[in-house]
Amino acid sequence: MVVKMDKAQRIANKQKQISISEFFEKNKHFLGFDTHQRAIITAVKEAVDNSLDACEESRILPDIHVYIKRIEGGKLELITQDNGPGIPRDSIANVFGKFLLGSRFHAIRQTRGQQGIGITGVVMYSQLTTGSSTTVLSKIEAESTAVKVDLALDTKNNRALKSNEERIPMEEWFEESGMQTLHGLRIKTVMSAKYQRGRQSVHQYLRMTSIVNPHATIRLKVIGKEGEIVDEGEWVRSTSKLPRPVVEIKPHPHGMQFGTLQRMLKNTKERTVKSFLRKEFEKVSPLVAKKILEHAELDEKRRPAGLPVESIQSLLAAFMEVKIQSPPVDCLSPIEDLLIKKGLEKAIDSRYAATVTRNPSVSQGNPFQVEVGLVFGGDLPSDGTVELLRFANRVPLMYQQGGCLLTKAIESIDWRRYGLEQPGGKGVPKGPAAILVHLASTNVQFTSEAKEAVSDNEEVHDELRRALFEVGRGLQSHRKRIGQREKSREKFDLINKILPEIASKSSSMLGREPPDLSPIITKIMNAVFCEEEVIWEPREKLAKCSIKIYNYTARARAYTIIAKWPESDSTSIVQNERGGRKEARGLWAWRLDAIDPGSMASIDFTVSGLNKGDWKEAEVFYRGNGEVIGSEKIDEALLEEARKQERLQEVVEEFVVPSASTSSHQKDTVSLDSNIVSSEIWEAGDKLF
Amino acid sequence: MKERTRSKEDTIQALHAVAAEMHDRMMRGEPPRMTLPVRSKKNINFDERLNVYKYGKKKTIRDATSLGSAHQLLRALFVTEFMEEMIEGQKSSTLREMYYISEGWGYGKFGSQNESNNLAEDLEIVTGCLREDFKLRPEEDGARIIGNLTFEEKNRRGEWMRINCRDDVGDSGYGVPYNVESEKLRLLSHDIDFMMAIETGGMFDRLVENGFDESARCGLIHLKGQPARSTRRIMKRMNEEWGLPIVVFTDCDPWSFRIFASIAYGAIKTAHISEYLATPSAIYLGIDSDDIKAYDLPSDELTSRDIEALKAEKSDPRFQNQEWTDQIDLMLELGEKAEQQSLAKYGLDFVTDTYLPEKLRQKLGIHIG
Repeated sequence: MVVKMDKAQRIANKQKQISISEFFEKNKHFLGFDTHQRAIITAVKEAVDNSLDACEESRILPDIHVYIKRIEGGKLELITQDNGPGIPRDSIANVFGKFLLGSRFHAIRQTRGQQGIGITGVVMYSQLTTGSSTTVLSKIEAESTAVKVDLALDTKNNRALKSNEERIPMEEWFEESGMQTLHGLRIKTVMSAKYQRGRQSVHQYLRMTSIVNPHATIRLKVIGKEGEIVDEGEWVRSTSKLPRPVVEIKPHPHGMQFGTLQRMLKNTKERTVKSFLRKEFEKVSPLVAKKILEHAELDEKRRPAGLPVESIQSLLAAFMEVKIQSPPVDCLSPIEDLLIKKGLEKAIDSRYAATVTRNPSVSQGNPFQVEVGLVFGGDLPSDGTVELLRFANRVPLMYQQGGCLLTKAIESIDWRRYGLEQPGGKGVPKGPAAILVHLASTNVQFTSEAKEAVSDNEEVHDELRRALFEVGRGLQSHRKRIGQREKSREKFDLINKILPEIASKSSSMLGREPPDLSPIITKIMNAVFCEEEVIWEPREKLAKCSIKIYNYTARARAYTIIAKWPESDSTSIVQNERGGRKEARGLWAWRLDAIDPGSMASIDFTVSGLNKGDWKEAEVFYRGNGEVIGSEKIDEALLEEARKQERLQEVVEEFVVPSASTSSHQKDTVSLDSNIVSSEIWEAGDKLF
Repeated sequence: MKERTRSKEDTIQALHAVAAEMHDRMMRGEPPRMTLPVRSKKNINFDERLNVYKYGKKKTIRDATSLGSAHQLLRALFVTEFMEEMIEGQKSSTLREMYYISEGWGYGKFGSQNESNNLAEDLEIVTGCLREDFKLRPEEDGARIIGNLTFEEKNRRGEWMRINCRDDVGDSGYGVPYNVESEKLRLLSHDIDFMMAIETGGMFDRLVENGFDESARCGLIHLKGQPARSTRRIMKRMNEEWGLPIVVFTDCDPWSFRIFASIAYGAIKTAHISEYLATPSAIYLGIDSDDIKAYDLPSDELTSRDIEALKAEKSDPRFQNQEWTDQIDLMLELGEKAEQQSLAKYGLDFVTDTYLPEKLRQKLGIHIG
């Protein structure tokens, strides 16, 4: 058996250091410590981002606890606790005591703490404002005891000063961490800071974090000086599916900038520029390397280290002239639309949610992917602007909304055509909605070091607009459905409630016989109506769908009614008296032969394998002559296309062996608390209609 | 002039005819409906005989094929039932009370007071009755009058009281009751030459304080904006029974023009009873559009709503004469409007010492002082 290096150890080894601690001391506002309200948010953010990144790398489902306590002198005590891999004793001082350009600086991929500079900032801020040290308690799986150590910073020498180091037995670790895990990290620090509630608060930051990290469970508790609860929150994971493991990639020539290239040339172990190009870059084959060097008029045997400035510049120019394949995009980890939907629905009570995950694309050598979610209706306030939830690499952006590319993309769309208010067709729209925008990229460009606003980029902007159009169209058709439903409900009110009362009142007032209403009803309605309702049965854990077709025309009608239902490997139709047949994946059809004038036909069926809230609204289509109000005529061409896709999919699946799970030890660490619906649900229908 | 009020039997019968139209249609298997004249400026015509504007022949059918109209029909039945009860029980209620009573009518409930007011008017129009016949009264109070004229009003105890509008009232004047018909109010005597109707309270008080009613030998009546039915009716009666000229003194803006039109030609909303309310011989005294320049008055720019209102007036049949076309065009050209009180620019007495005497001489040939 091969003895594997502990995962935590491996991560730590890859970290490289730079000495800018003194610089930081003078520029703490860059890192979000400029006000007392913001300092606590930044501190929580740095700790939580690190926890989520570490858990993701180690394929652990994160459990994160944040405790904040108000103490005397305008100070806060912050404790964060996770069930991550922990940090090996020898790396603790490095991780917390030096400004690190994290493990990911030279390898390119999507991570939260992109520059790995943050957590040391927390230690430093604590030291600068209170003179206290930060206590770290770390437990790694490979060791039977935990390490506890106090850390202070020697900012001149960019060094951590350790004190009171001790070993903690397993039992005490369990007790102190409050978690029954064999690994984890607890940080305790004190700082001058102020806890505030509201749109820019720790609570909001964690709420947003939970939306884009549906695999994480996050808890917050804020205690006042008298022990009273000031604020609390609990966001339980809604999926046990970890984000896809991201693959590290090398830089792509198209994303190169002068300074980076210069540093890479200086640091490389390669002996010639040709092998430097081949080994240190993505998609540079020997042939491509040769072409680049020809364009740059450089001898392929030149040593990388000694290259003069002009040669570096001609190399950069050559990168853009030679045709190079785009970088691979599997280094990105989108949240994926179904999980965004779940995250949003968990955090915001609404009537309607639509999400779009665009395919990855590339801008200046950097792979990126955009995702958009929109929720509408329900309890959302209808006055005021919609809430914008901005994220970059799963990190909430809470400040500088106006200057952010993600905001600008939203503002550039005319939302009026999708049914939101927007004076002049520009700016943040108004109405009962919230819009989520997530940018995943190996290199998110921010407007400043504070990393709160994404800077302009045409390709990203265009992709965002495409995604926003898509959710906009979804909202539009939802509103159309709602509008139709309201209209038919009005008609039903008219004939069932108002008309009978007009008849009885006028007859009794005049002392005459009451009229027969049925011919009048047919004249008033003169249409076929469809009513649909999905009810959740909590006891049996079933979703019951009921479709009613009313014929208020003067002749008998026949239709095939097709309902969209959340078909997946884990769901099935369990009660369905009318039978019918499968039309395509997620589409079931029933034939209704003769609905007589003035009569009603109903279809009832039940779906098992769902959770509450998974299915709120059934879309109903019809095939046959004469419009059915409240349902749409099925598009046969699209239906045929869907069937073709399905057959193709089946053929593909026969030849592909499902890949083995990459996670090995997560099962013993976390109890899975929900059986979620697989993401295939909706796919068949959503792509089509 | 035909008899104004109807007997209670006639009223109930007229109301039942509305219900019968609905019932007859339903017995034939058709959606119930109510037929009404179109109540907009497109459907008012000048009645040569009555000398006022009345509804034309355009009808609108309100039938139960939409929820809104069906609601209206049901409400009409509820209101009919309610009126019958009041007529039988010799009670009356205000329009506002009826609105609140409708709370208990289920689907017949009114969404706003405006809806219930409109429906009461609808029923007046289709039945040819007046709301007084329905035992409904407005809660809006009528005008105030000051001047040397004497009325006799029947008080709550049923006794006739003599009231002189100069000697028997305070500074706020005589309050016009909502019913100014002869069973409630008699016009006894006067010693004035004309009645002046004034749009704003501020100007009314100014004229009272300056003693203009005595110096110009006139009666002053405060319109309180768009005048209530009783205000227009009492002016009509003073004009007909006493032969007094009515002059109207308002702000200079599109809305004031409409106030004058409703006094002189009849209001669009009450065109079914224009002959009871309108005084065709009423004269618009001012402020005229050209006064803004002539008197160099402080003015405000027209708002977009003002401009729209002026444009609408250009296609309103009541303003289709040279005088009004000039007046409206000039205001559009200037792009400005002025308030009555802008005359105070030249001092508090300017209006009574200079402006009104000039205007009265110019438009009526009356010389004061």
